[in-house]
Amino acid sequence: MATSNNQVIIVGAGHNGLIVAFYLAKAGLRPLVLERRHIIGGSAVTEELHPGFRCPTVQHSLGPMIPKVVADLQLEKNGLGMITPDVRVFAPRLEGPPVCLYQDASRTARALETISSHDAKAYPKFLSSFAAIGKVLEPVMSMTPPSINEPAKESLWELAKLGMKFRGLSKKDAFRLLRWVPMAVADLAAEWFETETLRAIIAARGVYCSLAGPWSAGTSSGLLMQAALNGNAIAPSLFVKGGIGSLTQSIATSATAAGAQIRTGVHVKSIQVDGGKVSGVVLSNGEEIAATTVISNADPRSTYLNLLDPVELDPDFRMRIHNYRCMGSSAKVNLALSDLPEFIGTKSDRAIMAGRIHIGPEIDYLEQAYDAAKYGAPSPHPFLDITIPSLTDPSLAPQGGHVMSIHVQYTPFKLKSGDWNLHRKALGETVIKTLSEYAPNVNGLIIAQQVLTPLDLEEQFGLSGGHILHGEPSLDQLFAFRPLHGWAQYRSPIKGLYLCGSGTHPGGGVTGAPGFNAGREILKDLKA
Amino acid sequence: MNSKSKYDVVIIGGGHNGLVNAAYLARAGKKVLVLERRYVLGGAAVTEEVFPGFKFSVASYVVSLLRPEIIRELDLPRHGLEILPLDGTFTPMHGNYLWRVNDHAKTLREIARHSKLDAEAYDEYGKAMVEMGRFVKPILAMTPPDPTTLNLKGLRDLLFLGRRFQKLPYADQYNQVQLMTMSAVDFLDQWFETDVLKATMSASGIIGTFLGVRSPGTAYVLLHHYMGEIDGAFRSWGFARGGTGAISNAIAGAARELGVEIRTEAPIAKILLQRGQAKGVVLENGDEINASVVSSSVDPHLTFIRMVGKENLPEDFVEDINRYKFRGSSGKVNLALDGLPDFTCLPGNGKHLRGAISISPSVEHMERAYDDAKYGRFSRRPYIDMVIPTLTDPSVAPPGKHIMSCFVQYAPYHLKEGTWEEKREPFGDTVIDTIAEYAPNIRNLILHRQVLTPLDIEQKFGLTEGNIFQGELTLEQLFFLRPAPGWAQYRTPIRNLYMCGSATHPGGGIMGAPGLNAAKMILADWKRGRI
Repeated sequence: MATSNNQVIIVGAGHNGLIVAFYLAKAGLRPLVLERRHIIGGSAVTEELHPGFRCPTVQHSLGPMIPKVVADLQLEKNGLGMITPDVRVFAPRLEGPPVCLYQDASRTARALETISSHDAKAYPKFLSSFAAIGKVLEPVMSMTPPSINEPAKESLWELAKLGMKFRGLSKKDAFRLLRWVPMAVADLAAEWFETETLRAIIAARGVYCSLAGPWSAGTSSGLLMQAALNGNAIAPSLFVKGGIGSLTQSIATSATAAGAQIRTGVHVKSIQVDGGKVSGVVLSNGEEIAATTVISNADPRSTYLNLLDPVELDPDFRMRIHNYRCMGSSAKVNLALSDLPEFIGTKSDRAIMAGRIHIGPEIDYLEQAYDAAKYGAPSPHPFLDITIPSLTDPSLAPQGGHVMSIHVQYTPFKLKSGDWNLHRKALGETVIKTLSEYAPNVNGLIIAQQVLTPLDLEEQFGLSGGHILHGEPSLDQLFAFRPLHGWAQYRSPIKGLYLCGSGTHPGGGVTGAPGFNAGREILKDLKA
Repeated sequence: MNSKSKYDVVIIGGGHNGLVNAAYLARAGKKVLVLERRYVLGGAAVTEEVFPGFKFSVASYVVSLLRPEIIRELDLPRHGLEILPLDGTFTPMHGNYLWRVNDHAKTLREIARHSKLDAEAYDEYGKAMVEMGRFVKPILAMTPPDPTTLNLKGLRDLLFLGRRFQKLPYADQYNQVQLMTMSAVDFLDQWFETDVLKATMSASGIIGTFLGVRSPGTAYVLLHHYMGEIDGAFRSWGFARGGTGAISNAIAGAARELGVEIRTEAPIAKILLQRGQAKGVVLENGDEINASVVSSSVDPHLTFIRMVGKENLPEDFVEDINRYKFRGSSGKVNLALDGLPDFTCLPGNGKHLRGAISISPSVEHMERAYDDAKYGRFSRRPYIDMVIPTLTDPSVAPPGKHIMSCFVQYAPYHLKEGTWEEKREPFGDTVIDTIAEYAPNIRNLILHRQVLTPLDIEQKFGLTEGNIFQGELTLEQLFFLRPAPGWAQYRTPIRNLYMCGSATHPGGGIMGAPGLNAAKMILADWKRGRI
């Protein structure tokens, strides 16, 4: 039974869904956002892991958000406090001093000088090359990918502008851009640097959340996307006061202030279609809500394969969505700690731990971690991307205590033997063991531990295959091909049904760009 | 010797591309000289009597990609080219096998024995690949545009490509995008469920590359090999009667008839420059040969770093050439046999021995072979592609004897431990052990064995790092990026020096397209007065 006559429904209150809600509300519509969990935020949430210890459950850094969204939603006025620690990435090593990259380029170059003067010299050049290329690519993030068969006039114009910008690049950078797109990130890193750990830090961004190793072709494109977002190819350390969940809270504040409605604890079971047009949604409690527009913040697989009756989609289309690669490769381990751990070679320097901590000292280490996943086993020595958010925001833990958020790769969703319920405990142990090699005292500090396997990510967060990015960020699934060639304009084969999540251009990470772009396209249709 | 006399064009290397280049230039009335370092023509497309009475296609062993217009225009059959079809692919397994043959209905029945669904998909797949091949073919004959300095022609070429793509039916567009970017296994996973079928098909995606069947980008190489064409029939593979060298000899015959002069055992020391322009070559024996144009069919490392010299080239260009990836990944084992191998899964001397025999029993076998190479060792259980040409062409061995050519992957040029000098025989043993898992009698049949490591391939054939395609066929080294950004138009930073080998678009294999495309570019430049 219909209990509301809201015309626009947004399925899922992740950051992208909430951003769409804001833009639609601002345009005078009254969108209703339905969130399955008891809290909003999707993968960008802060939750209590142990009494008094609050931790970013899944994602721990901003992408960053595209500036237009931050400005339009007045997020800073609505409670968003950003934290940018001086350290961008710190990588402890078993042998030799740690490699540390700071926000400040010249400070980084000075620090690298003690490790390799070649790399110290190359680093500023690396940054400026990516900065130049990033500038050209920046508009790509906030554009709607063109339809290749029937390009709209605006998108041709946008492409022409892009072409002009491209021609403004030096010939060297122009060719770099073309060459790098399909390249293996290990090759790219080796072209610039000789220090293995530095290469590995760079490569890590190319394989983040992806079922690919640094030797997989196309992994350099992740660096180009990162450069497009903030002019730098290295993983960003951009945190939020109160944890990343505060970001989605502030987006929700903006959206509701503009007139959107949000309901939590409501599970959309299916999207109803009538004569090729959306007619509403049905909740798991049987409640029906009529709607003429439904916008899905869920990933493409679950939107098309779980929420829609198969008869509503062309079998070829369904088959292609079925082939959309969405097998998660990552897990999360979150820890409540009684004190700060000490990493080897740091002489209890607290500040050095404030950004990202990278465990994965060599390209081969990362590749071997991936090898295991290829054959359906979790990495025996995983790559870890760690943050200690309580270090820059003490409010997240009781006095003296800390929370540690560990992104773990690789943990293939599909295991060759057994299932994740059998492997969960072992995964936690592997992570702690690996971490202990670099921070020997960590074991004695653990008060509580949360392990989220890819299966947990699927079940608790509704991420198909446990894929944090809503699908592989590989070349065949990016830009005009995300999620599918011909369906990259946020629209779907069902009239009135749209996608707005990370499974659309420009993909995952906490950037807000998919929501921003989807909002623009949907409003175009609604106004027409 | 007329070493002082001036030629219009001197061509470095008598491989198939150098010879094609020569023939087309001579056909347009140019006075052409081809210089080959070895005693025999053909480069990697060569037949040699390695052991008395046994004539091996030492390196390249099957043919499929040779452009039909070259065969036609140079009238190669009249010059002795005869291609004998290769009948299918046989993949032995433990207790089973997969045997695909040229008879389509039979192949479908065989695949249905493994999976009914796959048999249905196989038809669809074949049709889709033919469509993809049709789309890509004109690109092979095209000079890649330079996207950073688009002139009218470049823009027109890009638009031409865009339009062609737009005209494809949606399903083909979708496939095309996937082919250009995906891994062979990911691509095949969408069509098939039978592991051995995927493993064997994906093998053609990795030949000559330092990539695994799960590496993105390998699906494209799948197509590259699918485009094989013999007498206009798509994707048939074959042997040349008399071995692969017969192809080179036929092209050389055609070239000579057109007036090309060819010299063997004429190694080149350097390319002669005068005021930054190429004006000829100097042989290792000190002879100078003058020519208006030098066209090099050897790889960019040899051409630029060895023969031109870094000091004569722009710094950025040298950097690009040094970055160009070779990474040889394959070896070759040539066997002289006293009889035929007997496969446990299908005993006897049946027709299954007449085609390719592929040791690719599972995707995991393929991928693990690659994993070894990634960390700098040869595969403990390699992928092997074998042919027994004596079953089709008995002329290449003494009566009753056979030769078996085994292409082996992976054998990385750069070893983590030891040298190829030490590892040559252990590598050969590994290959024999792997074959013996499926055909145990092989050990007792071997009369002679020649093991070619990537180092041997480099030294013997002048292929840097032993890469059989003169550089990896990865996306960042294809089309307008092959061999270097901005230099994909067969021209070089040295005026009157051109490239015409596999290191230029569209890349390696016995295709002849680089030699032909380069000849067109040289002739066009001549007309334009650039030369």
